[in-house]
Amino acid sequence: MLLPATLEEAVTALDKESTEPANEQKTRILAGGQDLLPELKDHLAEPETVVNVKGVAELGTDVRRSGDGFEIGALATIAALARNADVPAVLSEAAASIASPQVRTLATVAGNLCQRPRCWYYRSEHTVCLKKGGDECFAYAGLNKYNAILGGGPSYIVHPSDLAPALVALDAEVVTDRRTIAIGDFFTLPSESDPTRENVLGPDEIIREVAFTVAPGWRSVYVKFKERESFDFALSAVALALRLDGDEIAEARLVLGGVAPTPWRCRSTEELLRGRKIDDALAHEAGEDALGGAEPLEFNGYKIPLTKALIAKALRKLS
Amino acid sequence: MSVQSGPQWKARSEMKVLNTDVPRVDGPAKVSGRAKYAHDIRLPGMLHARLLLCPHPAADVELLNVEPAKRIAGVVTAAELADRPDRTIFLGQPLAVVAAETPEAAEDGLRAIEVRYREGGWAVTPEQAAAEDAPRISRRQPNALTERETGNQGRTERALEGADATIDETYVVPVQHHCCLETHGMVVDFDGERARVWPSTQAVTGSRGEVAQALGIPADRVEIVCDYMGGGFGSKFSIGPEGLAACQLATELRRPIHLMLTRTDEFLMGGNRSGGRQRMRAGASLDGKLVALDAEVWRHGGIGRGSNPGQPYIYKAETDSMRIGSVRTNTDANRAMRAPGHPQASFAIESAMDELAYAIGMDPLDFRMRNLEDPVYHRQLNRVADEIGWYDHPNRETPGIPTGGTNVGIGFGVSTWGGGGRRVCVVTVRIDPDGSVTSSAGSQDLGTGVRTYVGSIVAEELGLAVSQVTGRVGHSEYGPANASGGSTTTASLAPAVKDAAHNARVAFSERLAEWLECGPGDVVFANGEVRSGTNERMKLTWSEACSILGSDPIVATGEWQSHLQTSGIHGAQAVKVEVDTETGGLRLVKMVCIQDCGLPLNRMALRSQINGGMIEAIGYGLFEERIIDPWLGVALNANFDDYKLPGSTEMPELVAIIDDDDERQQVIGMAEATIIPGQSAIANAVANACGVRIRSLPLTADKVLMGIQEKA
Ligand SMILES: Cc1cc2nc3c(=O)[nH]c(=O)nc-3n(C[C@H](O)[C@H](O)[C@H](O)COP(=O)(O)OP(=O)(O)OC[C@H]3O[C@@H](n4cnc5c(N)ncnc54)[C@H](O)[C@@H]3O)c2cc1C
Repeated sequence: MLLPATLEEAVTALDKESTEPANEQKTRILAGGQDLLPELKDHLAEPETVVNVKGVAELGTDVRRSGDGFEIGALATIAALARNADVPAVLSEAAASIASPQVRTLATVAGNLCQRPRCWYYRSEHTVCLKKGGDECFAYAGLNKYNAILGGGPSYIVHPSDLAPALVALDAEVVTDRRTIAIGDFFTLPSESDPTRENVLGPDEIIREVAFTVAPGWRSVYVKFKERESFDFALSAVALALRLDGDEIAEARLVLGGVAPTPWRCRSTEELLRGRKIDDALAHEAGEDALGGAEPLEFNGYKIPLTKALIAKALRKLS
Repeated sequence: MSVQSGPQWKARSEMKVLNTDVPRVDGPAKVSGRAKYAHDIRLPGMLHARLLLCPHPAADVELLNVEPAKRIAGVVTAAELADRPDRTIFLGQPLAVVAAETPEAAEDGLRAIEVRYREGGWAVTPEQAAAEDAPRISRRQPNALTERETGNQGRTERALEGADATIDETYVVPVQHHCCLETHGMVVDFDGERARVWPSTQAVTGSRGEVAQALGIPADRVEIVCDYMGGGFGSKFSIGPEGLAACQLATELRRPIHLMLTRTDEFLMGGNRSGGRQRMRAGASLDGKLVALDAEVWRHGGIGRGSNPGQPYIYKAETDSMRIGSVRTNTDANRAMRAPGHPQASFAIESAMDELAYAIGMDPLDFRMRNLEDPVYHRQLNRVADEIGWYDHPNRETPGIPTGGTNVGIGFGVSTWGGGGRRVCVVTVRIDPDGSVTSSAGSQDLGTGVRTYVGSIVAEELGLAVSQVTGRVGHSEYGPANASGGSTTTASLAPAVKDAAHNARVAFSERLAEWLECGPGDVVFANGEVRSGTNERMKLTWSEACSILGSDPIVATGEWQSHLQTSGIHGAQAVKVEVDTETGGLRLVKMVCIQDCGLPLNRMALRSQINGGMIEAIGYGLFEERIIDPWLGVALNANFDDYKLPGSTEMPELVAIIDDDDERQQVIGMAEATIIPGQSAIANAVANACGVRIRSLPLTADKVLMGIQEKA
C-alpha cells in the first residue's frame, strides 16, 4: 500500500493502462475503504498496489460553500454531508439514507460515486459474470429481484450510490486531477461502453471534488425505499429538485436511483412537469411517463409501481 | 415448612429473589467486552485454522492436493479431513483444513490448495429435486418421500364437501439461518496427554465425550470450558466437522488450534431451519367450526429430514388427515432451531385459520377460540387482543382494502411447547467459612440467564442477596448437565440447583442448631442473617454463621427432583402493522406476546426471552431467506449484507407479558415457544390491513406491493 502526499504522486503511482475487466486493474485507489476492503477480502479485486489517498493534500475533506454553490472535497465523509444543514435537502437526505452510522463515518463522497455494483452475481466469488469479464449477465435470466428495469443490457446492475442521483439532480460537476466532468456525463451505461465499468474515469484518474451551484428558488427532496429500513441499499429512489413559480413548477430535475445501471434522469418527465401544479393527477402522469420505458425482468416488476409511488411521494413532499 | 422435608419452591408471595427482576450477573462483562468467548481465546503458539468448502452442490473430487498450501508463508500444515468423501453431497461440504500462524495466511493457504471437481448432477431447490429426471441425492431413499399418513383422507374429503366454506392454499416457508453472532468452532489445546478445549457449544457435557473420542484419549483427560457462548439456537449440539478438524490438527501438531468458521462457512455448513411447503385444504361451518383439514406437508431440510410437528398443529379439526414427508436437496442439513418445525407449522395453520374466518365472515379471534380446546388460549388471546387494541379495530370481520395511503392491520397466532426436564444434572453448592457461597453446574449459559439462576436459587434458599452467591457454569468439571435444547435446561437444572441449595441449608442448619439453641428444623435463613425460629434474640450475621464452620466448609450436591418441574406451556401473540399501500412497505407498530411458564425464576430474563422470540420471528417474517441460484448452484446471500436481519429501526413497541394466571408452582422451560407464532401474526396483520394474503415468507415489500397491484 502506498501513502502518497500529493495528487501528483498519487496519479503517478497508479497504473495508466486500462484493463478489462476493471476489477483486474493492477492498482486501486483506497479512500474510506468501505467498498474496496470488502472487495479485497472477497477476492473480487486483487490489485498489486493499493494507493491510499487519505493523505493527499489536495483532496479536501470539507463541504465548503463557494460563491453561489458548494465544493465537496473527495474525502468528505458521508456523515459530514448528512449532518450539513446548508446543502440542498436532496443531498443531505441521500447521505443520511446511506448504510449505517459506522459506514457513513468512514465512507467518502468520491468513494461512494465510484463504488462497485452490489449485484449478488458480481459479489459472488464463484461466478465470472459480465461485470468481471465473463460473457453473461447472470442476473438477466437469474434471480433479478434487485436488478435494473431501465437502461439494462448487456449488464443489468443497478448503480448502488445514493449520492449519485442526488448530485445529478443538482447538476453537479466532478472535478478530477485533470478535467471537469458534468455529472450527467460521468456515469456510463453498459451498452455504451466497457460493461465492466460504471463511469468514465481513467484507471489513473482521481476525483478531487464535486461541485454544484444552487440557484435561488430551488427546492429538493430524496425519497428512498429500502427493503430493510435500518440500513440497506435502495430498491428504488427518487431525487427531485424543483424551482417553483408560485404553485407552478418552473423547472424540474427528476433522477431515479436503484433502477438502472446509472442514476436515471427522466428528461421527458421533467418537461411534462414544467408549468404544472402539483396534484395527484400530475403525480400519476409523471410516474407513468418516467417508467414508460421500463422493461422489467422476471422478478423485479414491482419496481415499476414502487418507483411511481416514490415519484408521487417526492412531488407531494415538495408541494 | 420444616427443613427435614424435601425441597419445595416457596409460595410466590414469600419469594425475595425468585419471581422478581434480577439483572443477569454477567451482563456487565458482556457489554464491556471482558467476557471471553471461544473466538477470543488466544494461547501461546496458537495456530489459526480454516476449512476448504466445496463450492458445488455435488461433485466428484477428482483431485485434492494440499501440498501447495504448505508452501505459503505462515502456513504450518494443510490436510484433507479425516473422513472426506470422494463425492460431495451438499453445497459447502468441508474437505480440507489449513493451519497457519495468522488467519490471513490460513486463508491464502486455502486458496493455494489444488482441487479439481467434476460437477455431478445436483438439485438445490425442492422443485429440482422432485423432478422426474433429478439426480438421486441419497442412495437410501427417493428425493421426495412421504413418510407418514394420518387420519382418513376419504372422510376428510367428504367433510370438506359438506363445509360451508373451504380454502385450498399452499404456504411456503424459506430456509432460515440461526445467525449465531459467534460462529461455530473451538479452540483446542492438546499436549498429547490432556486437552483443554473451548468450544462454542450448547452441550458442555456432550462435547467432552466427542472431543475425547476425536483425540483418542479418555474423557477424564478432557476439560471443556465454555464461560460464554455467542448464540446457538439449536445449531451447536455437536462439535461438528469443524471441531473434528480442529482435533485432527491438534493431534498432528500438538499446538493450540483456533478454528472458528467464517461467516460464509457458517451460512453454508452451520445448519439452518428447514423450509417447507404445506398445502392446506380446510373447511369451516358458518358457526365457526373447523370441520375438516387435509394437509400435505413437505419439509425442506437439505440433506437432512427437516422438521414440522404436523397439522392441524394446536387447533382441533372435526376431521383431519395429513401426508407428511420431506424433499431432499444438495444443501446443508437442517438442524434444530429454536422450536424446530413449529414456526413452519404455525405459518400454514394460522394463515389458513384466518383465511377461513374471513371466508365465513367471522372475527378471526373468535374463530380461533372456537377451535382451540384449551381454555388457557382463550384467556391469553383475550389478553393480547386487549393489549393490541383489537376491540377498537375497524376490520374485525373483513379485511381492509388498499386505501392508497397507510392501512392498519392486526393479526394473531398461538404457540405450544413442552419445556419439561429430565434427570441429568448434578449441582454442587459450597458454603465456605469466609462467607462465600458458590453454586456450580456443568451446564452452559446460551444467553438465557442460566448462570444467574444457578446463583439466585441458592440466594433465595439461604436468605442472601444474589450478589452473595457466585453461580458458576460452563465447565465440564462442574458436574454433568444436559445439552441446552428443547427448552429443557431450566426444568432439568433448576430442580437440581434447588435440591443442592436445600441440602446445603439442611447441612448448615445442623451445624448451627447448637449455636442458636434450637432444633435444626427451627433455623431460619432470611435477610442475610441466620436465626432461631423459636427465640428471636438468637441470631447470627451471615459471616458470623459461616465462621462457625472453622475449616470445614459445607459442600452439598443436588439432583433433579421431578416434582419441582413440569411441562406444557401456552402462548399467544398479536401484531399491529402499518402497510404503505403505495409501496408495499411494512412498519410494525406493536407486538404483544403472553407466555405462561409455571413458576417464574427471573422475570427480567423471562421478558428478555419473550422479546428475543418476537425479534427472531420478525426476522423470519420480514426478511430472512437463504438464496441459492438454482441454475448455477451458487449461494447468493451467505453474508450479513445480503442475508438481511432486522435492525433496531424495524423493532416495534414490544410488549412481553408473563402469564401470572398460570399458578403452577413448578418450573418449565419456555424460551422456544416465544418464537413460534410471530411471523404468522404478521402475515395475518398484513392481510387484515389490506386484504393481501402473502402465503410465502418473508413478507418483503415486493410481494406485498404486487399483491396490492393485483387487487387494484
Ligand atoms: C453495509 C454497507 C451498506 C451500504 N449501504 C449503502 C447505501 O445504502 N447507499 C450507498 O450509496 N452506499 C452504501 N454503501 C456503500 C458505501 O457508501 C461505499 O462503499 C462508500 O461510500 C465508499 O466510499 P469509501 O471512501 O469507503 O471508498 P473506498 O472503498 O475506499 O473506494 C471505493 C471505490 O472508489 C474508488 N475511489 C475512492 N476514492 C476515489 C477518488 N478520489 N477518485 C477516484 N476513485 C476513487 C476506489 O478505488 C474504489 O474502487 C454501503 C456499504 C456497506 C459496507
